[in-house]
Amino acid sequence: MPNPILENIRRSLERSGQSGSIPLPTVLPARQAGEFDAETGLFMEELRKIGGAAQCLPAGGVSEALRMLVGTEAIHKAVLWRTPGLLELHIPEILEETGVTLVPAGAAPSSLAECDLGITEADFALPETGSLGLFSSPEKPRAVSLLPRIHLAIVRPQAFRPDLHQVFAEARRQPYLVLITGPSRTSDIELTLTLGVHGPQKLVAWIIEEE
Amino acid sequence: MSGETPGYIGFGEYSQHVPHSIPSAVKQATDRFVGTRAARVAEIDQWEELRQIGSDIRQHTLENLDRYLETLEARVTEAGGQVHWASSAEDARQAVLQIARDRQVRSVVKAKSMATEEIGLNHALEAAGIRTLETDLGEYIIQLAGMGPSHIIVPAVHLKKEEIAALFREKLGVDAPADPVELTRIARERLRHEFLTADMGISGANFLVAETGTLVMVTNEGNGRMCTTLPDLHVAVVGIDKVVPDWESLTVLLKLLSRSATGQKITTYTQFITGPRRAEGESGPKEFHLVLLDNGRSRILADPVGRQVFKCIRCGACANVCPVYKNVGGYAYGWFISGPIGAILSPQMLDTQVARELPYASTLCGACAEVCPVKIPIPTILRHLRHRMAQGDEFGSPALPAPVGAAARMTSLALSRSWIYRLGTRLLPFATALLRRDGWLKTLPYPLSRWTSVRPLPAFGARFRQWWKARVRSENG
Repeated sequence: MPNPILENIRRSLERSGQSGSIPLPTVLPARQAGEFDAETGLFMEELRKIGGAAQCLPAGGVSEALRMLVGTEAIHKAVLWRTPGLLELHIPEILEETGVTLVPAGAAPSSLAECDLGITEADFALPETGSLGLFSSPEKPRAVSLLPRIHLAIVRPQAFRPDLHQVFAEARRQPYLVLITGPSRTSDIELTLTLGVHGPQKLVAWIIEEE
Repeated sequence: MSGETPGYIGFGEYSQHVPHSIPSAVKQATDRFVGTRAARVAEIDQWEELRQIGSDIRQHTLENLDRYLETLEARVTEAGGQVHWASSAEDARQAVLQIARDRQVRSVVKAKSMATEEIGLNHALEAAGIRTLETDLGEYIIQLAGMGPSHIIVPAVHLKKEEIAALFREKLGVDAPADPVELTRIARERLRHEFLTADMGISGANFLVAETGTLVMVTNEGNGRMCTTLPDLHVAVVGIDKVVPDWESLTVLLKLLSRSATGQKITTYTQFITGPRRAEGESGPKEFHLVLLDNGRSRILADPVGRQVFKCIRCGACANVCPVYKNVGGYAYGWFISGPIGAILSPQMLDTQVARELPYASTLCGACAEVCPVKIPIPTILRHLRHRMAQGDEFGSPALPAPVGAAARMTSLALSRSWIYRLGTRLLPFATALLRRDGWLKTLPYPLSRWTSVRPLPAFGARFRQWWKARVRSENG
């Protein structure tokens, strides 16, 4: 069946007599990655600038850091992605030991909304903007980085990419990607910056150092 | 203002009666964004190259729009989404209403979208008995107040926190203090419940990537993610001009967009959605519908000058630097889009009669073109449309009132024949001698009184040509 809108477009473009005058341009070359320490340093600096928290941790330091986070942020309920990386770090066990109730990742959104903490494992990290890239799958529910009051992202060194170009080259065949850069924010009332309007109020990123 | 297609946009009439709260608040917002934009732009060495590439990408896409839309439709369908083509605003409203009715939708949560403002979707949904809530904080506030947006990025900037607190007390029945943080918390709680119970989420899109059928949208608050993640049904209404060929092009446009709009390196949340969720147990909507809106765009593509308006990526930078916009705010432009870009879009999408004043809502200073991240030659298009309004062209009939048209023709005649011009400069000082007071013309008869009611006109005296000759002589010594 002919599509009247496409027909109209073709007629108009023909009438203008200027179709196809400009080829699709080549984009500027992607940013090159620096030394790993410089990349993580830049990532943490950028994330802090926009109100996020970031630190580098050895895998063995996760337990203590998590206990501290649970205490200072008064965390009672948490939900986490079911990824091997988070299990390897024994995150579910640590949370249970500290008395935190674990809500299953597949629970209804209304249950996830009651969680104080959502834990994900970043698929990508972008130093230049302090951004995290997250995919979606049954093991990686989108709502975990959205509904809880605090979002904690575990960042493995392998997640680092120098620029959007490299992220997009890998992500373009995925059904879903979200880039998260800092906590949820608004300046809608009298231009006053307020964090945590709909999404998480706090964003914490822990870069896990190679042993 | 939001809602129905306007009958006549009286920019001049409105600008005579701008509420006092508008210019000061709008100027505060625009100054903020101008400052942050400048800071982010300065960080990029190759900003001008990036702009040129962005401009070429948009121009290339428009010139091949049929091809990219075909690819887009195929990819969205392959990904399990449904594409609905809408020739008019009415078609688009009906498409959305049909989807909603078929699934017994009772409540809708909406992310900020200019396309749905363009088609007046909220009215249509409410009229069909479907509760429709805007969820961007600023949009939520002005929806409660029954107003339209005064600024593209901060739509409720003209309201003081005390006014918003009073509004919340009246409409929500809560004890709201005049504190932005507390007010935000109240809105968060209210809307959280709505997100979790809504049957349908409606969004627009910042871009549609043709090669993979991906919808790209940016939000800072996270409401856009809520609307497209929690309800089982996601409907996106998007203009056909939003297509981007591929992800490489997208890298350029995303970098240009957030820096130009809010002065952020990147917006807090950027989502890339390709079809509905794939697996049971995954979060995300079960159904994804894309309503592709034409509403005059395909017609305007025939005009090689005017169509450049569709390169726009809706950052609002042109409005932020516009001296006219800063003084009148968003309402004066009478439709869903304001500022310089509105002044060149509305007159092309609506009948020339309806928006005939808008191409004149500019001083032609050119600041808009200088900041435009995709290099839309806004002043050129303004002049192109002024010509259309005065004399008509193959895309629209003349629309200026007869006396204005006659005055324009006389001016054109006088300026193109030097003897008439010279005669005029000799006669005008005599003709106005009786009206002169202390070297100024303080009152002139109608229609010139419209100028002198606001400010005096310097009396005609010195003759430029004489002055210039004398100056050249003295310089040559």
